[in-house]
Amino acid sequence: MSAAGDPGATEHVDIDALKQIVHRDQTWPRMAAKYGVENPVPPWKTSLDGLCDALDQASCDANVPNFKERRDEEDALSATLYSGLPYPENQLVSLAHSLVARGIIDEAELKRRLASIRERLEA
Amino acid sequence: MTDHGHDHDHDRTVKPMVDEITDFEVLEIALRELCIEKGIFTAEEHRRFTEFAEQIGPTPAAHLVAKAWLDPEFKKLALAEPMTASKEVGVDWMEPTGFGTPSDFTAFQILANTPTVHNVIVCALCSCYPRPILGNSPEWYRTPNYRRRLVRWPRQVLAEFGLYLPDEISVHVQDSNQKHRFMVMPLRPEGTQDWTEAQLVEIITRDCLIGVALPKAGVTTNVITDTRPAVHPGTAG
Repeated sequence: MSAAGDPGATEHVDIDALKQIVHRDQTWPRMAAKYGVENPVPPWKTSLDGLCDALDQASCDANVPNFKERRDEEDALSATLYSGLPYPENQLVSLAHSLVARGIIDEAELKRRLASIRERLEA
Repeated sequence: MTDHGHDHDHDRTVKPMVDEITDFEVLEIALRELCIEKGIFTAEEHRRFTEFAEQIGPTPAAHLVAKAWLDPEFKKLALAEPMTASKEVGVDWMEPTGFGTPSDFTAFQILANTPTVHNVIVCALCSCYPRPILGNSPEWYRTPNYRRRLVRWPRQVLAEFGLYLPDEISVHVQDSNQKHRFMVMPLRPEGTQDWTEAQLVEIITRDCLIGVALPKAGVTTNVITDTRPAVHPGTAG
C-alpha cells in the first residue's frame, strides 16, 4: 500500500484503525469540557511537534514525506476525510494516515501497537 | 506536621486534569515508537525537538521590537542585520535548537511598518513561520483559508481579525518559504511614550508580529478567530 507523490491520492486509502479513532471522538475540546480542564491544546501536542520536526529532518529516507509533502497531505486529508476533527487531532490523524498510506507503517502493526500501548497506560 | 483543621478547600488546590487515556494520546505514542523502531529518527532526536517546541514562543520577537522602539541604533541593526539583532534577544538562527539546524531555517528578515505601509506575513505554500523567534504558528495561520485568501484579498482577511486599515495605507503581503522567514515590526503606538521595555513587550503580541493586529496600549492578548474551513476551488459552487 503506497500512495506517495500525490497528496490527494492518500485520501482513497481506507484505514480502519484511524476510522475507529475518529468515531470514538475523544477530541480535546470534548475531554477538556468533560473534566473542566482549561489548557487550549492537548498534552501530546508538543510531542507531536517534535515528531513532525524529527520526521522532516529524516525525510531523505525513501518514502518518508518531506516537510512540504507532509503538510500538503495534512491539508488535503484535514479538508476531506478528517474534516470533522479539530486541530491538532486532524494534524495527528492525517500524519498517521500519510505514514500508513505510504507504507512506512503497516496498518496491522499500528493496530497491535495501539492496543499494547493502551494496555501499558492502563496497567 | 500538617494540621488539617485549617479551612482551605483541598478540591481547589489542584488543577483538574483529564483522567482518561484518549485514543489520540495513544496514537501519538504509537507513531513515535514505530518511527524510532524503524530507524527513521532516534528517541534522542525526538526528545530534543520536543524540548525545542516546548520552549519557543513570541517573547524574543516582542523584546526585539521593544528594543528597536526604544533605541534607534538597535532598530537600524534589526533591519540591516536581523540575525545579529536576534542574537541579542537570545535567538541564534543558525543554531535555533542548539543541537543542529533544522532544514527549514536559513534566512530571516524583519519588515518595518511605516505610516503608509502595513506588512503582514503568510506562507501561501504550507505554513513556514519564524518559529525560533515567534514560537509555533497559530492554528489559523496553517489553514488554507488564511493562506489562500490573504494573498488575494488582504484587507478583507485583516478585517476578519478586526484590523481595518484606511485606503492610504498600502498592505504588503510577504510570502514566506522554506528558506526565508519574516516577522513584522509594527509602529510604536501612541500613549506609550514613557514606557519601559517590559511594559512595551506586554502589548507586542504574536498577532502584531504576524501583522494581523496593531499594538495598542492596554491590549495584551491575541484576537481569537474561528478557523474557517477552506472551500476547495474545484468543488466551490
